[in-house]
Amino acid sequence: MNMGPLPAASPSLARLVQELHKLPGIGPKSAQRLAYHLIRTSEDEALALADAIAGVKRNIVFCQQCQNLTDSSPCSICNEPRRNSGQLCVVEDPLDVLAIERTHCYTGLYHVLHGVISPLNGVRPDDLKLKELFQRVGGGHVEELVIATNPTLEGEATAMYIRRNLAGMDLKITHLARGLPVGGSLEYSDDQTLTRAFQGRQEL
Amino acid sequence: MAPPRTYRCEALTLKHIPIGETDLLVTFFTRDQGKLRAVAKGARRSNSKLVGHMEPLTQAALSFARGRTLDYVVQVQTIESFGALKGDLDSISRGFYVAELVDGFGSDNGANEPLFNLAIETLHAISGDAEFELPLRCFDLQLLGVSGLKPELYRCVECRQKLLPDRHRFSPGLGGAVCLDCRPPEANILPLSVQVLKLLRLLDRSRPGSLPALRMSDNLIRDLRGLLEVTLEYWLDFQIRSNSFMEQLHRESQSAVYT
Repeated sequence: MNMGPLPAASPSLARLVQELHKLPGIGPKSAQRLAYHLIRTSEDEALALADAIAGVKRNIVFCQQCQNLTDSSPCSICNEPRRNSGQLCVVEDPLDVLAIERTHCYTGLYHVLHGVISPLNGVRPDDLKLKELFQRVGGGHVEELVIATNPTLEGEATAMYIRRNLAGMDLKITHLARGLPVGGSLEYSDDQTLTRAFQGRQEL
Repeated sequence: MAPPRTYRCEALTLKHIPIGETDLLVTFFTRDQGKLRAVAKGARRSNSKLVGHMEPLTQAALSFARGRTLDYVVQVQTIESFGALKGDLDSISRGFYVAELVDGFGSDNGANEPLFNLAIETLHAISGDAEFELPLRCFDLQLLGVSGLKPELYRCVECRQKLLPDRHRFSPGLGGAVCLDCRPPEANILPLSVQVLKLLRLLDRSRPGSLPALRMSDNLIRDLRGLLEVTLEYWLDFQIRSNSFMEQLHRESQSAVYT
């Protein structure tokens, strides 16, 4: 006989599990493990986590220029005077800015879209920071727009959408090279990657 | 006897979402098992042997390993990547439309090889071709057919009388054309012109990849598209999201032309 769910031993613990379960990639078992881990940690550590979450929600804003997440707007990258303000690199997510910054090979500014066009997942152009990008480029200070969306179908669609909307402007539009990754293997490469690797081959 | 731990099938990738640190949860439409969701472990790493093969609108031969809740992709070889389709924004938006409808009408673990073949044929038909309208509308109608929802186009669904070449009406809920004499208590009844009826009958006998070249007025295209859209959304019970993206691209290209 089905007796229905058993009453939770602790409603506050059940609430914590429920809240953790809402996080991306956290299933019910992981949520329970994290909740019990938080119970076992010291009160100071648990409250430090709660305070960090509250601090982020209180202080984080969008940078009015690049739309990256920051404590103060404009962000530290946009405020850096040595940056080349004629170059603008368009990325999908704030984490992509960190990845490019780790390379130390790019000295221009950024624009974060916060996603890519994905009709199947309900993401339309209007849901992204594209209007802000077009306004920024329309300001006339940008000489080169480097589109660094991921080489996925949605990333490519977003890049094409940007290019189409900026067609006719006095602006150089480039995108990151496509081809084989370091440590990759020709044998396992897909047709599109191999085709583009051939098209973008360089003289040794 | 326990089923084998691995199995192979041919599939069209419909969509994927990131899960975990580097994995993808991929929705496939397979030739012999219908819709299938599987995990592609590590497929977001740039040097993964799966990367690139898991992109939406890619036809591939795959091997899967059975898992406790979801199966895992273990090997993949691209059969057709539809490169011409993926090189143009408007074509991509039409590809998204095909993928969304196959996802909506395909059922989990319900084999539907005619639907698989229809999707592949349509993607070929709309790849790098300026004429896309008729192949897509043919896909809409044939999709209803292979899903067991083919609308009646030759007899009135109420009185079963043969339809004469004249103005009629159409009811998605009743399943097809309604003659002017019948008054079914159905709120959602659309006008059906004789031209649209003839076009629907032509599409019913055709395939997206082998359609005759036709010159159609903008009004006829709009009426045909509207009727099929309402019918598809009636059965799907949700709005086709990729439609609004296609319309936005069309609007923007028109305003760019005239401004």
